Amino acid sequence: MAINASKSLGDRLSEAPNARTWIGGVSVVLFLAAWQVIGANEIVRSDLISYPGEIAAAAYDLASSGELGANALTTLREFAQGFAPAILAGILLGLGFALSRLARSLFEPLFVAMYTAPLIAFVPLLVVWFGVGSTSKAVTTFLAAVVPIAINTTTGVRETQESWVRALRAFGATRGQIIVKAILPGAMPIIMAGLRLAIGRAIVGVIAAEMYVSTSGVGRMIQTYSTAGRAAEIFVLVGEVSGFGFMCVWLLRRLENRLAPWRARA
Amino acid sequence: MNEKFAQVALGALGFILLIGAWELAARNGLANPVVVSSPARIAAAFARQWASGDLFADLETSAIEFAIGYGLAIVVGVVLGLAMGLNRIAEYCIDPFIWFIYASPLIAFYPLLIVWLGFGFVTVVTVAFLLSFVSIAINAMAGVHAVDASHMRAVLAFGGTRRDVIFKVILPSSVPHILAGARIGLGRALHGVVLGEMFGSNDGLGYSITRYAAQLKTADVFVPLLTLIVLGVAINQASALLEGRLQSWKRA
Repeated sequence: MAINASKSLGDRLSEAPNARTWIGGVSVVLFLAAWQVIGANEIVRSDLISYPGEIAAAAYDLASSGELGANALTTLREFAQGFAPAILAGILLGLGFALSRLARSLFEPLFVAMYTAPLIAFVPLLVVWFGVGSTSKAVTTFLAAVVPIAINTTTGVRETQESWVRALRAFGATRGQIIVKAILPGAMPIIMAGLRLAIGRAIVGVIAAEMYVSTSGVGRMIQTYSTAGRAAEIFVLVGEVSGFGFMCVWLLRRLENRLAPWRARA
Repeated sequence: MNEKFAQVALGALGFILLIGAWELAARNGLANPVVVSSPARIAAAFARQWASGDLFADLETSAIEFAIGYGLAIVVGVVLGLAMGLNRIAEYCIDPFIWFIYASPLIAFYPLLIVWLGFGFVTVVTVAFLLSFVSIAINAMAGVHAVDASHMRAVLAFGGTRRDVIFKVILPSSVPHILAGARIGLGRALHGVVLGEMFGSNDGLGYSITRYAAQLKTADVFVPLLTLIVLGVAINQASALLEGRLQSWKRA
């Protein structure tokens, strides 16, 4: 914010190379240090806030006992079982909505209603329908993910350049070729944005569904350690879930650069 | 106008088709009405919950929790976002924490929140606040970053102070961004209320859903669930309208 002509110390600091990374890093380190001092010295009850040293120890214990790995695998499987079909169904539904006015008019309001409603409210019902096991979690993931993917596919396809479609048609392309060669690649960046939204919703959905009722999984672990009042373990598990989310978004970005390289250059 | 009417009519037809198919399936034994319920059963459950006052009491609790949580989120989100937008050091310091709060499944902390804040009302308000303030803050910050520098230079050139720049240029021109963030925050706040009520309260629409589900009263589950869906859509539509109204100068 270069409003003042003379540069203050703050301006000079914030304009240093990589300022965002190292100022952010220093801020996080200071926060962790303060947390460690406050928690380890019981200035605030450490069973309520824990502290970084204890959390690191808990992470080591959970990982080395294999408890974390086994439960993470369960959650991952449920996530994959719901998310993979959601990608397919979302893109097909989105294409259907974009290419058929009738389908869009009839069913898009239902979809938008589903999108606005808090997904977690459906979980108790899904448990009644699909049981306390993995299926209800996969269905939760599916429902969380399919709606943003479908909505974004519709938007993306409708914003595809009309001229590309006309060019292909002029050269005698079939409807199928037009969809594969022009419409889907054109819509790719927006579909990818939909996938990013979907990942966030699906992760929260699967964890909350496991917390609500389940027999295994990371959400189940959170619930177990929660009721036992173990703050350190909860921080480990929350950190793991966030890490998984970051990893997914990072992978998606790399995939996007591969699938839509013209966009990365822009 | 005619076009718009057709859209609404077809949308309504979509809902009617769904309800009709559901009712038929339940009546003809294609779907077990005890498990999946049916529109007629849901209507009866709605009438029952309405008459007993349960539905209204739940709605009132949830609405108050939502209003307080979301209201706090707007105040804190706007102030924090503007501070981050105006001061780059503040932005860099707060940024990692903001993203952690945004990306992590905060509901996992509910048992700790209950110990800190007590079971029920305050915990629910806090979950709603935590889920929604970040999107408002991020957008407010983006709004400040997007301010047209020539406007700021103009104010300074005519002898305006830094204060003038903030109140006469930066604040007004970040309004569209703040509104967009506030709209994203709405959905997240409603989500937070439901999450908080399901896990950390024994009151409100979210709690009713879990209670009726535990009793396997599926028709009764649908009443608070549908109320939430309608509420979500209504809030979203209202905010879209308001957003259009407040930004009317932008199109001119």
